[in-house]
Amino acid sequence: MDCSYFRERINHYVDGELGYLEVAELQDHLSFCPDCAAELSQLSEVRTALAAWGRAELAPPPGFAERVAAAAALEPKPSEPTLGRVVDDVLDALDETLGRLPLPGGRTIPVKNLLGYGIAATAVLIQVERYLRRTRELKPL
Amino acid sequence: MTPSNLKWAALPDPTPAELARAVDGDVDAFKKIVQRYQGMVYSVAYNVLGNHTDAEDAAQEAFLRCYRKLPQYRSEATFSTWLFRLALTASVDYQRRERRRPEPVEVPEAADQTQVELGDGITAATLTAALRDLPEDYRVPTVLRDIYGLPYQEIADLTARPLGTVKVMVHRGRASLRLRLRAEREA
Repeated sequence: MDCSYFRERINHYVDGELGYLEVAELQDHLSFCPDCAAELSQLSEVRTALAAWGRAELAPPPGFAERVAAAAALEPKPSEPTLGRVVDDVLDALDETLGRLPLPGGRTIPVKNLLGYGIAATAVLIQVERYLRRTRELKPL
Repeated sequence: MTPSNLKWAALPDPTPAELARAVDGDVDAFKKIVQRYQGMVYSVAYNVLGNHTDAEDAAQEAFLRCYRKLPQYRSEATFSTWLFRLALTASVDYQRRERRRPEPVEVPEAADQTQVELGDGITAATLTAALRDLPEDYRVPTVLRDIYGLPYQEIADLTARPLGTVKVMVHRGRASLRLRLRAEREA
């Protein structure tokens, strides 16, 4: 097998997605291929640096907390149940309870969205059916 | 912009009394919460969005979502974990909503940040410049995966992309970063 096969595997390896035999096969290749070994080493260095950067904390611009507090002061109290918040809470609760449904191609969709589309489609079909029935009833003999 | 290498998990949770005051609309109590966690939220937004102008907007949006959802916070998770998820979601939503806008002018980093060593001769300045130059489609999944360690499926759900596409984007993002950092080192 050529290096392109193993280079693709290197990413799966660092993600811990390879099985025992695949790891052994890759390690065997790395033991005599300095190019692929260098690629793995550099990839590991990049990931180490990214993880280290993730632990660093950036200070926001001066006055940030004051601006956020001023914006929050314009909002209704969190304890006040507004219509928008009640709707948001219900949608969040539905999302948590119903979860997501896998679709072909690896996408997922919240089940509550599917229910929403279903209800909307049913409403449209009912309206179309009523319209057609009325048209038939009004048709002159 | 000074990194202080603080671990977010080490930040103390707001006390129940502080939370109760904020839930009851006490903006000063909420401001204290913002001051405690602003570094974490701003860092998440900056890493996802790659520039300070958008990061400030997204971080503010994350805190406002936090304010509205305070009554829903349950102490089963630490406050920083709960807020971290809100910050990630707000930043990714912002990136999806604003992706057609032209790039804002970047504010230069402060000198003290640029020399922070991240290991193997890679400095923060080199890494952030390389991240900023990545195409957005690669940067966001790579940041979520390799900076914040999110599972691929969760990244696919957050970014509304197929799982296979997300993996390819992360692999390409890593390859671009690797080549860029190698070139910098050789130069």
